[in-house]
Amino acid sequence: MDTTATAEVDFDVIVAGAGIAGSVTAYRLALQGHSVLLVERGPSPGSKNLSGGVFYCRVMEEAMPGFLLSAPIERRITRNCLSFLSASSFVNLDYADDRLAQSVTAVSVLRAKLDEWLAAQCEEAGVMLMPGVRVDALITEDGRVTGIRAGGDELSAHVVVAADGVNSLLCRQAGVRGPEPLKHLAVGVKSVIGLPRRVIEERFNLSGDNGAAYAIVGDCTKDLGGGGFLYTNLESLSVGVVLRLDDLARSGESSAELHDRFLTHPATESFLRGGELLEYGCHLVAEGGLAMAHDLTRPGLVVVGDAAGLTLNTGFTVRGMDLAAGSALAAAGVVDSALKRGDYSQEALDAYPRELDKIFVGQDMRTFRRAPLFLENPHMYGDYGRLLSDIMYGVYNLDTTPRRHLAAGVGDALKNSPLALLPTVRDALAGVRAL
Amino acid sequence: MKIVVVFKWARNPLDARVSADAAVSWPGVKLAASDDDPAAMEIAVALAAGDEVVGLTIGDGDTAWAAARGAARTVVVTGTPGEADSAATGAALAEAVRRMAGVGAVLIGDSAWDYAVISALAGRLGWPAVAGVTAAACSEQGELRVTRRLGAAIQVLAAAGPVVLAVTASRAEKNVPGMKEVLAARKKPAEKIAAADLLDAAIAYRVQTQGTRFPDTPPARVIDGGDPRTACEQLIAALRVEGVI
Ligand SMILES: Cc1cc2nc3c(=O)[nH]c(=O)nc-3n(C[C@H](O)[C@H](O)[C@H](O)COP(=O)(O)OP(=O)(O)OC[C@H]3O[C@@H](n4cnc5c(N)ncnc54)[C@H](O)[C@@H]3O)c2cc1C
Repeated sequence: MDTTATAEVDFDVIVAGAGIAGSVTAYRLALQGHSVLLVERGPSPGSKNLSGGVFYCRVMEEAMPGFLLSAPIERRITRNCLSFLSASSFVNLDYADDRLAQSVTAVSVLRAKLDEWLAAQCEEAGVMLMPGVRVDALITEDGRVTGIRAGGDELSAHVVVAADGVNSLLCRQAGVRGPEPLKHLAVGVKSVIGLPRRVIEERFNLSGDNGAAYAIVGDCTKDLGGGGFLYTNLESLSVGVVLRLDDLARSGESSAELHDRFLTHPATESFLRGGELLEYGCHLVAEGGLAMAHDLTRPGLVVVGDAAGLTLNTGFTVRGMDLAAGSALAAAGVVDSALKRGDYSQEALDAYPRELDKIFVGQDMRTFRRAPLFLENPHMYGDYGRLLSDIMYGVYNLDTTPRRHLAAGVGDALKNSPLALLPTVRDALAGVRAL
Repeated sequence: MKIVVVFKWARNPLDARVSADAAVSWPGVKLAASDDDPAAMEIAVALAAGDEVVGLTIGDGDTAWAAARGAARTVVVTGTPGEADSAATGAALAEAVRRMAGVGAVLIGDSAWDYAVISALAGRLGWPAVAGVTAAACSEQGELRVTRRLGAAIQVLAAAGPVVLAVTASRAEKNVPGMKEVLAARKKPAEKIAAADLLDAAIAYRVQTQGTRFPDTPPARVIDGGDPRTACEQLIAALRVEGVI
């Protein structure tokens, strides 16, 4: 493929950041025959990414047909578990379904491998990959973004795509967004624990490349806003906590200690026993839902993925990778037609947010717009877990006192809990509406 | 003088994973330019004095590293057995050099990351080798003067004929190439040769690492807790000495 640039610019498109959003955008545009430069600050794509997690990857079949068969996927998630943790107990909502193995909507991935693979697909499609280079600034002329500056060098393009993640320096520079308020941000601290494949399959009751994903609330964050997660990879477990920054700052707790505490909780420890720590790291997560979405274009600039604030934390699922891929697909479509028409104006690129609104990205962001507010409710992280475990204790602790109906048991548990019935029902309704 | 610079031929030992039983593995770790590679490149460009500098690598990924620093072209040896066998790597590199006629010197980042490859390379070429090189210059008569550091001493050696120079960096790279240089470098010619075509199939190359050990750690110091106050003072003093607080 011809990747030489057209006359007046170095590249048709420059994409900053080779995460999922950047790589998918670059790939789609290169397939259309445009010259694309993909700049990544890490020494190689994925090398800066300790993260992993559950990728709701349906969208990838459209972005890169054959993704499920050829991408480095760890496991297909067929068991989802929501776990309410107290200091000495846990109540699990465990959902396993063979249909999930057939439809494959969620897979566990390790980003170091996935990002490297995505970038390799890009290069094969003709993208010029430039690792080890940090984009320092956008170049603007007359209010239009015309290129990037990195080191002492400048390169020009018709369109620049900011795919530089949750901290997006480029968006802040372009005035697309200001610094996020703390309550929109969370910090994720995570470990990858190596265990033999057989052990993982036994402990999680899995076979073949089926996998399990746990979302945990309550004691794992010492009742702070956030939650814990535990995913199975082929030969390792991704496990850690996500903590809301405002809560964390207020509490004076240390995120590393909360992470360690969660990993040594009896409910978690039994899964990890005998494992070897392979990776440890932390990263910011945006979890503001639609409240964080801001305008996503400037003349000559589009913003995709985390940089665009596209993450959803519903308590059940942390989603960002699928939204990154979906936004990339939408952006690539719009940039492709802009390039074909030679029109990179605000009006032309504004087709992108409209496109997002039409697909699952915009719609889900709207559907779950109340989720962050719901998750701001402090009871979510402590009292409800304790309430549930008290109810279950009443059901199963047959201590020869006469049993009562479940409703009465719930009533007792509520009485002993700082929670009141009405607000609890209200929260439950809010939850059902938000999620 | 025509010069070959070997680059991106080792893994950074800091990237190795050492597990609890001292087994070493390299999950996903790529061959990388070492801190010494840029120094080798710098000396090569100066020595060549306008003659051809050829980059030679066994790495994958971005192979334009030398081209971005002044090499006219690059030879990429593909499919080497990697860290498993330094003798085979050295032999493949030597054969690749031999196939380029008229090479006056091979420069390579020093051996701290892998002693065996450089020895095998020099041995296979049958050329003299100098390690710890910090500078090199060519006189008008074509005589090579090589400066090397030996402990605290600095030696200047005269060398005749083709040599292998293992270069030690004394500072970080000064002029890291920018995006434009890298982009231009990718347009320079790069030739791929399969290691299998360079190696003699009849020879069983075998350099195996037999074991590793953890570095020595100083013995623990036990503070007597009999008198808590003194113990605290001693602890704080000890932490200060270690630079912890
Ligand atoms: C602990 C944790 C758990 C998570 N779990 C899940 C999960 O289970 N499922 C899910 O879907 N999502 C999850 N997420 C969210 C998900 O990781 C992100 O939404 C997703 O990675 C967004 O992709 P992206 O391409 O937009 O950004 P990123 O993946 O952050 O990629 C940005 C890239 O840009 C590069 N970059 C940054 N600045 C520059 C610069 N100036 N110049 C050049 N390059 C630059 C970075 O090095 C990086 O490679 C989780 C996040 C965290 C932190």
